[in-house]
Amino acid sequence: MEQLIKDLKLQIKEVLNLEELSLEDFDTDAPLFGDEGIGLDSIDVLEIIVLLEKEYGIRLANPKEGKAIFKSVRTIAEYVQQNRKK
Amino acid sequence: MTRQEWAGTTYGNEWMHRWLIRLLQHIDTRVMYAFVALFVIPVCLILNPSRGIIYRYFRQRIGYGRMKSAWKTYVNHCLFGQVVIDKFAMYAGKKFNIQIEGNERFTELTKQKEGFMLLSAHIGNYEIAGYTLVSKEKRIKALVFAGEKASVKRNRSKMFAETNTDMIAIQPDMSHLFEIDKALTDGEIVSMSADRINGSPKFIEHDFLGTSQVEHTSDAQSHGAKAKFPLGPFAIATARSVNILAVNVMKSSLRGYKIYVTPLRYDKSAPRQEQIRQLSDAYVSELERLVRRYPTQWYNYFDFWDESPKHSDERTKLSAESQRKHD
Repeated sequence: MEQLIKDLKLQIKEVLNLEELSLEDFDTDAPLFGDEGIGLDSIDVLEIIVLLEKEYGIRLANPKEGKAIFKSVRTIAEYVQQNRKK
Repeated sequence: MTRQEWAGTTYGNEWMHRWLIRLLQHIDTRVMYAFVALFVIPVCLILNPSRGIIYRYFRQRIGYGRMKSAWKTYVNHCLFGQVVIDKFAMYAGKKFNIQIEGNERFTELTKQKEGFMLLSAHIGNYEIAGYTLVSKEKRIKALVFAGEKASVKRNRSKMFAETNTDMIAIQPDMSHLFEIDKALTDGEIVSMSADRINGSPKFIEHDFLGTSQVEHTSDAQSHGAKAKFPLGPFAIATARSVNILAVNVMKSSLRGYKIYVTPLRYDKSAPRQEQIRQLSDAYVSELERLVRRYPTQWYNYFDFWDESPKHSDERTKLSAESQRKHD
């Protein structure tokens, strides 16, 4: 799980161009959206949806799932671990 | 009205809309046009700040002189009144003469397995396209404002039901993104406008209607014409590497419209940021081409080229954000 979290952080950093954010500062449990966390928005969600499909073969199509999955890097990692096809 | 304050909804309440549809079932649209031009538009021009916004647009962006700009401001508002009347006339069952330039591009893409996108703008009367560009092979998913009046939503649904079109409402919980993405991966058509920033504040800046092409530059403020376009439509398209058509519908006569269907090309093998730049460049060029041909059909009644200090600060902040992601 820890390796998956690290991989996800690196992939998210790369796909969203978050160069100034170090892995140490990238809190696994921090909210990804809103003012309290990293401050991602809807376009970033789309990038992560595409990332999960390309890297892990996961196709997210249910909008109701989205909010819970994209809460933090940990929630994304848990979802990937349970649903990955790659 | 600033870009950030745009309400995204058709003017008037439900009762007015119902009344208008009922009226248009019985009278000629030209009677309504005349009524609006003589009695409604003059009042609107006195009360509404859109007067100054459109006057500045004609002066600074199109390059007209003072008198011509004032007259064209009136004409612009009359034409906007006409396209709103036409929209309700369609709900009332009236037909228009519609020509399509580039329909073969649309037909060609509908026959392919992959999904594609239609990008429009708030010029002319885009809603007409939704009832005209129809595909039996592919369902069209049109992105609309969730806050639109119930009467408009109801009538759109009724009209769209006959044209293999569904609506996706922009939602604060981002669920519309999943629907857009699913539609594209399922090989459907997604239709949205790409000239107003809604939802995500991220944008891409382009020179748009700059002074280099303005014929009569007499105003010192006319230098520089950077405008902000939403990043979302271009990010979605390039994320899925889909084909794009610009679709704009311009009023060509009292009862006629012309639909312009133009492919927007970008190098799908280029780095992602470059793809976004190329695609948005193509979109802005096509928009500029049509705005220069139909300058009075520009209906973005807010400071599209916002130069006020308050918003300049905001833009700098957002530009930095955008730069971070796309440089």
